[in-house]
Parts: sequence; C-alpha cells; structure tokens
Amino acid sequence: MGGRIATSCVGAAGDGMIGGSDGRFVLGRRELALGAATLSLAGARTALAGGTGKFVTANNNSYDTLDPHVVFDIGRIASRLNLYDALVRWTDDPPKLNMWLAEKVDISPDALSYTFTLKDAKFHDGSPVTADDVVYSIERILALKKGAYGLFSSVVNPGTTKAIDAKTVRFTLTKPYAVFMAVLPEMWVVNSKMVRAHEKGGDWGGGWLASHEAGSGSFRLAHYDPAVGFSANRFADHFAGWGPKYLDQVEFLGILEVASRVLGLEKGEFDALDGYTPYDQIRRMRGKPNVQILAKPSLRTMYFIIHNRRPPLDDVNMRRALCYAFDYDGFINNLLDGSVARNAGIIPDPMWGAPKDLQGYTYDLDKAKAALAKVKGSLRTLTINALGGYPQSGQAAELLQSGLAKIGVTATILSQPWPVVDAKLGNEKLSADLIPLWRSAYFADPDNWTGYIYNSKQIGRGNSSFFSNARFDELTDKALVLVKQEDRQPLYEEASRILVDQAAGLFIYNTNYYGAFDKRVRGVRYCPIGDAQDMRWQWLA
Amino acid sequence: MRLLGLIARRLIWVPLTLLGLVVLVFMVSHVVPSDPARILAGENATTAQLVALRHEYGFDRPLPVQLLRYIVAVIHGNMGISLYTETPVAGEIWRRLPATMELAFYSMLVAVGLGVPLGVAAALNRNSWFDHVLRVVTVSGLAIAAFWLAILLQLLFSMWLGVTPVQGRISDFGPSGVTGFYTIDAALSGDWSMEIDVLRHLALPVATLSFPAMATIVRFTRAGVIGTLGSFFVDYQRAMGIPRRVTVWRYVLRSALTGTLTQIGLVFGNLLAGAVVVEAVFDWPGLGQFAVNSILQSDYNAILGFTIYVGVMFVAVNLLIDIGQVVLDPRGR
Amino acid sequence: MSLLGRIARDRVALAGLIVIAAIALAAIFAGQLATFPQDVDTYHTAQRLLPPSAVHWFGTNQMGGDIYSRLLFGARITLVTAVIAVAVSVLIGVPMGLVAGYWSGFLGDLLMRISDIFLAVPQIVLAIAIAATLGPQIQNVILALSLTYWPFWARLVYAETRNAKSEIYIEAAIALGASPWRVMVLHILPAIAPSIIIRTSIGLGGTILTASALGFLGLGPPPPSPEWGRMIADARAFLPGAWWYAAAPGIAILILVMAFNLLGDGLRDVLDPRLRRHGSPKGASFD
Repeated sequence: MGGRIATSCVGAAGDGMIGGSDGRFVLGRRELALGAATLSLAGARTALAGGTGKFVTANNNSYDTLDPHVVFDIGRIASRLNLYDALVRWTDDPPKLNMWLAEKVDISPDALSYTFTLKDAKFHDGSPVTADDVVYSIERILALKKGAYGLFSSVVNPGTTKAIDAKTVRFTLTKPYAVFMAVLPEMWVVNSKMVRAHEKGGDWGGGWLASHEAGSGSFRLAHYDPAVGFSANRFADHFAGWGPKYLDQVEFLGILEVASRVLGLEKGEFDALDGYTPYDQIRRMRGKPNVQILAKPSLRTMYFIIHNRRPPLDDVNMRRALCYAFDYDGFINNLLDGSVARNAGIIPDPMWGAPKDLQGYTYDLDKAKAALAKVKGSLRTLTINALGGYPQSGQAAELLQSGLAKIGVTATILSQPWPVVDAKLGNEKLSADLIPLWRSAYFADPDNWTGYIYNSKQIGRGNSSFFSNARFDELTDKALVLVKQEDRQPLYEEASRILVDQAAGLFIYNTNYYGAFDKRVRGVRYCPIGDAQDMRWQWLA
Repeated sequence: MRLLGLIARRLIWVPLTLLGLVVLVFMVSHVVPSDPARILAGENATTAQLVALRHEYGFDRPLPVQLLRYIVAVIHGNMGISLYTETPVAGEIWRRLPATMELAFYSMLVAVGLGVPLGVAAALNRNSWFDHVLRVVTVSGLAIAAFWLAILLQLLFSMWLGVTPVQGRISDFGPSGVTGFYTIDAALSGDWSMEIDVLRHLALPVATLSFPAMATIVRFTRAGVIGTLGSFFVDYQRAMGIPRRVTVWRYVLRSALTGTLTQIGLVFGNLLAGAVVVEAVFDWPGLGQFAVNSILQSDYNAILGFTIYVGVMFVAVNLLIDIGQVVLDPRGR
Repeated sequence: MSLLGRIARDRVALAGLIVIAAIALAAIFAGQLATFPQDVDTYHTAQRLLPPSAVHWFGTNQMGGDIYSRLLFGARITLVTAVIAVAVSVLIGVPMGLVAGYWSGFLGDLLMRISDIFLAVPQIVLAIAIAATLGPQIQNVILALSLTYWPFWARLVYAETRNAKSEIYIEAAIALGASPWRVMVLHILPAIAPSIIIRTSIGLGGTILTASALGFLGLGPPPPSPEWGRMIADARAFLPGAWWYAAAPGIAILILVMAFNLLGDGLRDVLDPRLRRHGSPKGASFD
C-alpha cells in the first residue's frame, strides 16, 4: 500500500540484507529446512557514539505485569519484545522467521523432534543463556497455564523437553505440528537461576517476575511502575549486536486516553503511538509538521466473538441474523473513512489460506429478520462486552446494538478494559455473548485465525467462541500435521468457508497498520507481528 | 480538660466506626456473586487448581468467616492480595498514596491560601463590585462538574495553548526520594529542571481540584467574617475605641479561621472525591486512578482496601480538625 | 405572603426557579422540542462529528447523532435520577433524624453511629463501590446515591430536632400532654422544614454532579443512553477536534446545578434570614 512512508530503513526488508557498516543479517525461510539459515554478526562491535537518545511510546494499554509467560496479546507486547528473547523471532513485512537465540535447528524426519543449538548469548546479569534456561522457560509456561500456553499445550508435554548439553536443547512433540516454529517466538527465555531464586510457594517466581525482569533482550529494565509504564536501557552486550545507530533508552507508557496520546505526539512528548490509533486522529495528524504516518497493510481482522454455546446463540440462524444486522458499509466507509478493507472471512485476505471469492454477509435487515424467524429457542437481551480504551470497539458495539434493535432484539453494552475482558475470555459462564475485538497475527500462518481460535480442542484456551464443528476440527487438525503450504492451503480455505456459513463469528474488516511517529524516527521495521514495537532497529535523527 | 474528653470519646468511637465501614463495604462488594478464583487462576486452570486456590484464599468459607478473617487481617495492616495484579493491596495503596496526597496538599494550600484572603476582602467590602464578581465565580465553582472542568482546562491549556503537559505527574519516572512528594524530592536532589517539570504537571490538576474548594472556603470565610463583624463583641470593641484594623486582624480573622477550619474537613472530603475523577482525566497515578481501575476490574480486595484507607484518612483528618478547633476556640460555639 | 410570592421577590431564587422550570419542561417535552428525536438510539454514520450548524444546533457525536436532541433526552435522565435519589434519601433520613433527635439516648446514639459509618468516606467513593458492584444501570445509580445520601439528612434533622426540642413552645406542648408523634409532626417538623427545603434544593444540585460523575466513570446507564456524564466521557476521544461535543453536556450540567444552588441560596434568604448571618452548624452539609 502506498501512503507516505517517510522512514528510511537501516536496511531494506526485501532481500533481508542490512546495509550497515559491518555484519550481515541473513533472514531465514519459512519452510522447515531452516537448518541452513543462520543469523550471525561479525563479533561484538564497539559502536562509535551510536546512541541517539530516548524513545518514548505512548501505548493504549497499561503494563500491569512484566511476566512474559502470563500475557499473550499485542496491547502489552512491548515488554516481552524488548526485554526478552526467544529461540526464533519474527521481523519485517511480509513476516519472516529468523533464527534468534538459536543458531540452528535440526528437525527429525518424523517432524516430532526439534533440536536447537544455541548461540553465545548473555542475560542482562551477565550469565550465559543455556539450554537449562530454555527448558525452564517451556516448563514454566506449561505449569502456569497462562499467556501463550494454548500454543504449546497440545504438542509439548511437561518434562519432555531436554537439555542435551549447555548449548543444545531438544523438544519432543506428541504429534507433528506445522506451526511449531512459527509459534516459538512466544516462548520467551527467562533466566532460570534468577527466577528460581525468587520462587515462593510454588509460584514459579510469578510474584517477583511480575514487576522485575530476567531476560536477555535488547533492552534492560530500568524503571517500572504499573500505574505509569516502564523504561529500559540498551543492553550493549546483546548477542545480536547493534547497528551504527541505536536507541539508548526506550520508554513505554500506558496512557488510556487517546486524545492524550495524540496530543503528546504532536507536542513532541512522545515519539510513537500504538497501532490502534483511531483513523480520525491519524487523518488529523497527517498534516502536522512533526508527525509522520507509516501506513502498511496489516494482518489483523476485526470481528465479534460470538458465544456459540449460550442459547439462543447456539442456533446458527440466530448467529446469521446477527451477521445480517451489522452495518458493514456504515462502519467501514463512514466511521472509519474507508481506511480499512471489508474482509468477509476471518483470515485476512492477503494471507494465503483465505478463500478468494468468499461471499460474506451484508447489512440486510430483511434477511436478518428471516433468519431470526427460524430461531427455535426464546430470545433474550444480549450482552456486548466492548473494550474500553478502544473507541472502535465501542462504536462497533453501538452499531450492532442499533441494527439488532431494528429487528427486535435488544442488546446492552458493557465496556471494560482489555485485561478484564481477556481474563474472562476462556470462561464459558463469565464471557459475554458478543465481544468486538481484533485477531492480530501472532504467527504468520492461517492457523492463527482458524484452528487456534475455533478448533474445539482449544475451548477454554484460544477458542473463546466455544465453537465446535466436526468437519472444521478435522480440517484444521490435518492442516497442522501436513508440511507443505500447497497441501494445507485448500484445507484452510474450506475451514474458512465453514466459519462464514456457520456464522461462528461476525467478521468485519482487515485493517491497515497506521503508525504515528515523530518526524525524527528512523529505521522502523514494521512487522505485523509486534506492531513496530520492536525497538532494536530504530533510532532518532 | 475538654480536649481530653474529646479525644477519649473519639478513641472509643473511631475504631467502631471503621469496623462498621469494613462490614458495610464487605457486604456491598459481595452482593453480586462472582468467582474471584477464576480471575486469579486464569482461563486455563483445571478444576483442581481452582479448588486449591479457593481454599488458599479462603473463598470457600462461609461469608461471615471470610469477614472475620478479613477484619483480623486489616488490623494487622494486611489488606489482602489484589485479585488483578496479585500483589498486596496495602502495598499498592501505599505506593500510590503520595501522588494523591501531593495533589490534595497543594490543592488545599491554594484553596485556603487564596480563599481566605478573598473571603475576608469580600466581607470587608460587602456588596462592592468585587464582592459580586466573587459571588458569581464561587457559585459557578460549586456548580461545575470537576471532571468537566478538568477536561476544559486540559483542552484550553494543554491542547490549544500548549503551555501545560497533557497528562501524568512527570515526564519520565519520578525522582527517587524520601517523601514521595515529587516537588520536595526533586528540590532535595537539586534537579531544578525536574522540579519545573513536576510543577507544570501539577498545575492543571491542582487548579481543577482547588477551584470548588476555594469557592466553598471563600463563601464560608465571607459569611463568618460578616457574622463576626456584626456581632455584639465587635461592637463592644469599637465602643471601647479599639481601631477597626486591630479588631479585624485580631478577632475577626480568628473567628473566620475557626469557621474555615470547620469546613476543611468537608473540603478535604470533597477533594478526595474530586481526586477520583481528576486523576482519571489527567492519568494521575494516585489512589483515585487506583480506585477507578479496581472497580473496572472487579477487584474486590482492592476496592475494600481503598475504601478503608480513605475512611481512615478522613476520620483522622476530622479528628485533627476537631482538636484544632478546641485549641483555637476554647469557649466553644 | 405566600412562599411563592416571597420567592418571586428574591431575584436570585426566582432566576434559579425559572431555569429549573425551563429545563424540566424541556425534558418533559423532549420529544417535541428535539430536532432529531430518533437520534437517541439510531445512528447516521455519515454525519459524524459535524460542528454546530443550523441543522444540528450543537453538532453531532461520533455516531452521527444530534447532540442537542440527545441533550434534551438526557435531561430526563438527570432530573429523574436526582429527584428520586434525593426524595428517597429525605424520606429515609428525615424520619430517622426526627425519631433519633426526639428520643435521644441509646436509640439516638445508635442511629447516629450508623450514619457516621456511611459518612466515614466521601459520598462518591461509597457510591462508586455500590454502583460498580451492582452494574451500570440507572436503577443502581439511584440506589447508590440514595444509600449514601440519607445519612446527611438523618444527621441534619437529628441536630435540628434536638435544638427545637429545647424551644419553649415545644416544651409547653409536651407538658400539655401532646403525644410524641403529634409534637414531632405538627410542631417540630414545620419548624425545621425551611432548613430541609433549602438543603433539598442544594442537594439536588450536588446529586446531579455526583450522578454525572458516576456516568462519566462508566457506571451510569449504558449506551446508547444520552446520559450527560457519559456523553462527556465519550467526547474525550475526539478532542481537541470536536470540542463542541464535550462542551455542550458540561454547560448543561453547569446551568442546571447553578440554578438549584441559586434557588437554595434564595430560599435561604427568604425562609430563614437567621441562617444568613451565622452560616451552618457544624457537621451539616453545606452544599
């Protein structure tokens, strides 16, 4: 997509070469033959006065915890991305998976065994990153059962991950899992000695790690106040080294009011905003002298989670009636000024696996009423749980409420902060009937939008819609086991059609990323996974 | 003697009042059935984990038992674990207290420092144009919604004129200091640019909070001074030939201050109430913001802790005021 | 001279009364006076955030709804909430205060201690806790406000009743064998009525402020309800561009509350000139 991209990247994202003074950064490929791809830099470089100061981001979510294993969302990703590392890492757009803490990986022919060789990396306290730390980290995720647990729970059993030696670690999966490498970036490696030292009563150090960090990431925690945000200083000894210019300090502030964030950027108090800035404000900022807008196609679809198990929403006709009662056009073209694209299904149309000619729902009150007439159970007032602090979520809720009123269904709106809604998501009793939110790309695979959130095995974890369809399960299970994209693609396309036909959710649009930055910002390497909050590439002119 | 009697009576009733408050808030927060264990455990918890968690926190006990356990814990200063951040509530409140106290302190300072002289001046120049203008201003000050005034000031001074920051208490993270009052800590560490930054951030929230407080104080001071001026005692003084100025400074002012002291308890309560919405508008990391967040998150322990803290503070302030009154005016009213 | 006549002579009170009456009438006839009455719950997304114009006198909000029309319907919510909350508080608190003040002693002390518990925190703090627990609905707001306001009345009436009891004509009535209820209702109540009436007016103003603060915090009636506090909260996301959206409901609150305050002040001058000189007794709510 065009638009004014006024950034100058440190390196082009296309072929993966960074034009820098030394070092090459070779990006890996997404197929499983990752053994050949390495990430290396020519030793540790002493940067010559490359520091360009402090970078402040105003984020729409507050950072209520720093523990990387208990949250799994985009709103709070900055702490994980910048304070911690994982075995592999996503960068750039279209997203590429790179070796990161791992030098290489050997995958067994049966695709059940992944053996990683680690690089020489250090934690912030100087101790080396060892295989034991990796084992501890995966065991911690599996024990705490929060955050990205659902990504690993179906294939990694506790106790099966082994440290072969100090630099070699082996994962043994219970069944083939096509997205294992793709989801590994969310398995953040923590300093096991440090965390163990603060364990209390079997909490795996959770009480301590919520407000401290034990990572190896590009930045080292300096200050943390859950009421304000966190700041971190550059970790000069980071294994991936640094380019000729970098940031000395990064700061992330949780500021819930959008006007405050926008004004702060305009006045120079902030250098960047989060990726959820309403388009109204983006448009207003476009002409401002010290603001640059980065516009990129993204992989984030907006939709309503529908509680598929709670009557009358367990009736497909009721769900279809909902889908015909939403004013897609008014929302996309009027409220959002045409800045996003209608996406009839859940997989973003630019992503492979999205069916090309999908006929979605339109705003048609007659069809809505017809579907409603077929509903067998009794109707009741529906609850829509909008996300506070995300104005679009509230607007979508009000629009749906209005449409439903026109077909005789009442709905009440309850607005709550994202962490509160998130805490209720897996709970069949507590979760609301309808929740307007986004499905971002956590890993660049169609499973991110299909199997992970609609397969019945993920109910209570990723499947917050409590959707259950035998054919859908069959398709998505099989697609995870297969290896080649051309084999998996038709499965995902059919699965996507099922979701639309069964109205498993109310799918609205695929967004573009609109990043608002200070004019001085350079080197932004936008990646749909992480929303440009990965600070190691950026610098200030 | 009267003072001792006052203190003795209070020492009996204050703990009982606070106990009643704890019971009241406990009852309120348990009216709606919910499952705090679920929120604590996260969405993937097994049933066994939930049962264990309920037992650990005592959620599985009958309510009266939970209440008793809570009262005992509060007496020891332990207000339980926040259901949301999983850290002790008391610690969280303690950490945020200085932010709100600094805000309340300066607002009170401005309100009294400006309000008393203005009120006296208005009373001494009764029915002058100054008095009338002041009346209009104070009547508006009492009718304006604090959150709206905050938004207006923010719009005018931060957004349009750009002379004050939009939100927060300081541009980065605060000075590491002793008192928790950024104005004092920054000065103590000699960082004057930080001091200016702190004062700039204080400007609008203090202006918002102090405006209604000042309106109340102006009105009461004015009424008090007018009343005293018209009293028999002052007439007697005049008859005795004591010059007006002396009368004013020695007696009128004193009675005006006594009257104001009475109202400070009320004003302080309104300040705390206003702080809740003002902190929300300015993203001020204090108790008010904590209260609003806790309520949004259905964090019952945090709500209870906050309410009790505010109760303790409020009661303590009122006790100090009562003592102050007795000291200032032993004759009584 | 009738009460109304005396009020009419006091310009301050008269001004307040006229404004209140005007807003009340506007609220009652909102359906007729609104230019876009359907905008209470329907949206015209193409007309969002328009500045004030001849068509939309106060502009439109983010969903295209006419702000002026929504303000009128919001006045209904504001007035109904305040009137019911204050009425309930008065109906609970006044009798309690009367009884406690008349039969001072253990019963009186107990009732006052109970009100002390409610008064141990500022009203809005307790109201927030109650409203948040029960959920964002208008009934819960009214309940929260009533539960936190009755103690003021109990305390006030308690103090005034005790004062009144020492008046000679009350003592005479008791000595003549009048029953306690007779004394309370026929003698004491009329004596303290001016105080109650004055504070009711001012209390309505204060309740409107507290109720809109609850709405601002999201504890009031949920969308698409045009409650004034919620409108201001919604408007924040669109500042500084759509400043009219935040200004209009705030000005409405200001005018209405000021009217109640002025009426109260005027009533104070009219009904009880004594109060003008001495200010209020300690412990009673000023405003």
